[in-house]
Amino acid sequence: MTSHQFEDENNHRWQRLEEVIDAVETKQPHEDIERLPTLFRQICHDLSIAQHRLYDSAIIDRLNRLAIAGYRTLERRLSGGWDRLAHLILREFPQTVRQEKKLFWFNTLLFWAPFFFFAIWTPHDPEWAMRLLGPEGMVSMESMYGSHTSPQDYMREEFGSNFMMFAFYIYNNVGIDLRTFAGGLLAGIGTLFIVLFNGAHIGAATGYVHHACNPHTFYSFVAGHSAPELMGVVISGMAGMRLGLSLIHPGPHDRRTSLVLGGRRALLLILGACILTSIAAVIEGFWSANPMSPWIKYTFGAIVWSLTIAYLGFCGRRSHAA
Amino acid sequence: MTSPNALADTLQTVELADGVEIQLRVAGPAIRSLAWTIDACIAIACYIAAAIVMGMLGVFGMENVWEGALLLFMFFFNWFYNVFFEMTRHGATPGQRFMGIKVASVNGGPVRLPQSLIRNLLRFIDFMPAFYLFGFLSTLCNQRFQRLGDLVADTVVVYADPKPANPLRVQINATPQPSPHPLSRPEQAAILQFIERAPLWSDDRRIELANLLSPLTGATGPEGLRRLYAIGLYLRQGHPSKKS
Repeated sequence: MTSHQFEDENNHRWQRLEEVIDAVETKQPHEDIERLPTLFRQICHDLSIAQHRLYDSAIIDRLNRLAIAGYRTLERRLSGGWDRLAHLILREFPQTVRQEKKLFWFNTLLFWAPFFFFAIWTPHDPEWAMRLLGPEGMVSMESMYGSHTSPQDYMREEFGSNFMMFAFYIYNNVGIDLRTFAGGLLAGIGTLFIVLFNGAHIGAATGYVHHACNPHTFYSFVAGHSAPELMGVVISGMAGMRLGLSLIHPGPHDRRTSLVLGGRRALLLILGACILTSIAAVIEGFWSANPMSPWIKYTFGAIVWSLTIAYLGFCGRRSHAA
Repeated sequence: MTSPNALADTLQTVELADGVEIQLRVAGPAIRSLAWTIDACIAIACYIAAAIVMGMLGVFGMENVWEGALLLFMFFFNWFYNVFFEMTRHGATPGQRFMGIKVASVNGGPVRLPQSLIRNLLRFIDFMPAFYLFGFLSTLCNQRFQRLGDLVADTVVVYADPKPANPLRVQINATPQPSPHPLSRPEQAAILQFIERAPLWSDDRRIELANLLSPLTGATGPEGLRRLYAIGLYLRQGHPSKKS
């Protein structure tokens, strides 16, 4: 059978599939839509035959194009939408954090060790912290938490500036989370550096407050949003390290497969971290600067810390009944 | 038709679950850079437009709100512009659509949201240290022109429409003749492609190529070309006396 005969004989089927695919693409009803899988299988068969018999490249190209289009149409799936997001937040994300225990403790250490070092060391020897913060950083620290301030001051005048700060925290902090994740692809070194630096910088700021500002103002400001924000930093570090480890220690898989699998897990972690950091941005934008008794803020902060830990520690655990 | 160790080729063979092999035409760094340049221009235009609009709205008060809105806009635009467009049914940003390329899974299926997120968040690394140097090096180091983000997300950038069918049908006048030697399948395929594409070339070029096959045809010049045509026609339609 020559190419032309083959084409003449089967052309009607190919056109049928083309029509069905067009109908699906343009979301129009088509009588044969139920037959799409059958038509697709036939195309695959025809393509194999055409390839095997070395038919004209025009025919092979056309069948190849149809097979790809058919495959894409069949494979099109609506994303899960809100259900999927709820599943991610309530189950997959906290479960993954618990499964990656070693990475969690590693990043916790990576962040909190430099934090505590600088927070405790700075009041005795503020030189390093001053270097880290830079003159601008010190000025802004003093204007926010300086010794002349009290926790009950209005820190921002109006809703507008609250919203602006919220937007800034999303832009800046979630952006840092995403970079921490991406840095994992540099064999984890980018992530290591960002998490360490973050810990050192926040630690230096805390230490500097003890050295030159009013710690009461500082702690009552950060109490509310510290839990989700700092957990977000640690977990985006986990996401980056997951990616980096898949690259440098592929385990039983080849490196490419290991990266793909690690990437999927890392994506779960970074999405969760971004959600935590966004929650922190809402709290920091609209709550933390309010003039209220510091004890209210400390209580609120304690509640948020317990909720965060309970969420990560217990959410999505299978009940014994299930 | 191609062995796993074949030379680098923009045609990448992928086996579907149904056991059939499809061929994807992967897009190289050059056309992708052009698409990226278009998208970058669009992004700059959008940033400027957004800054002007927010600035004008600021005249009516609440500057802080508009400034915040601008920051949010920049955040989402910066990180999720590509994700947004890759999730449309074209699977391509405006720049990619203009250049006729799109993003697909390595298996030829449409790109999914998690894949799109991964490849675009990792774009940050591909861009490093400047202007996609890492991404460019990565595309040169693998067969499918994947940048680092593509490798992790298991995606490729392909031509949206594989090259359009060539309607050219020129009658070749020669009497089909079997080949004097048995030909392997790749050899048969090469000769078939030769007679398919020969009408597009000049006479000199056809003869030049046919001369390479003089060990097979046993002749050079126009006579060699004629014999090559005869073998090709035989492969394509069988012997005239034989029923097809």
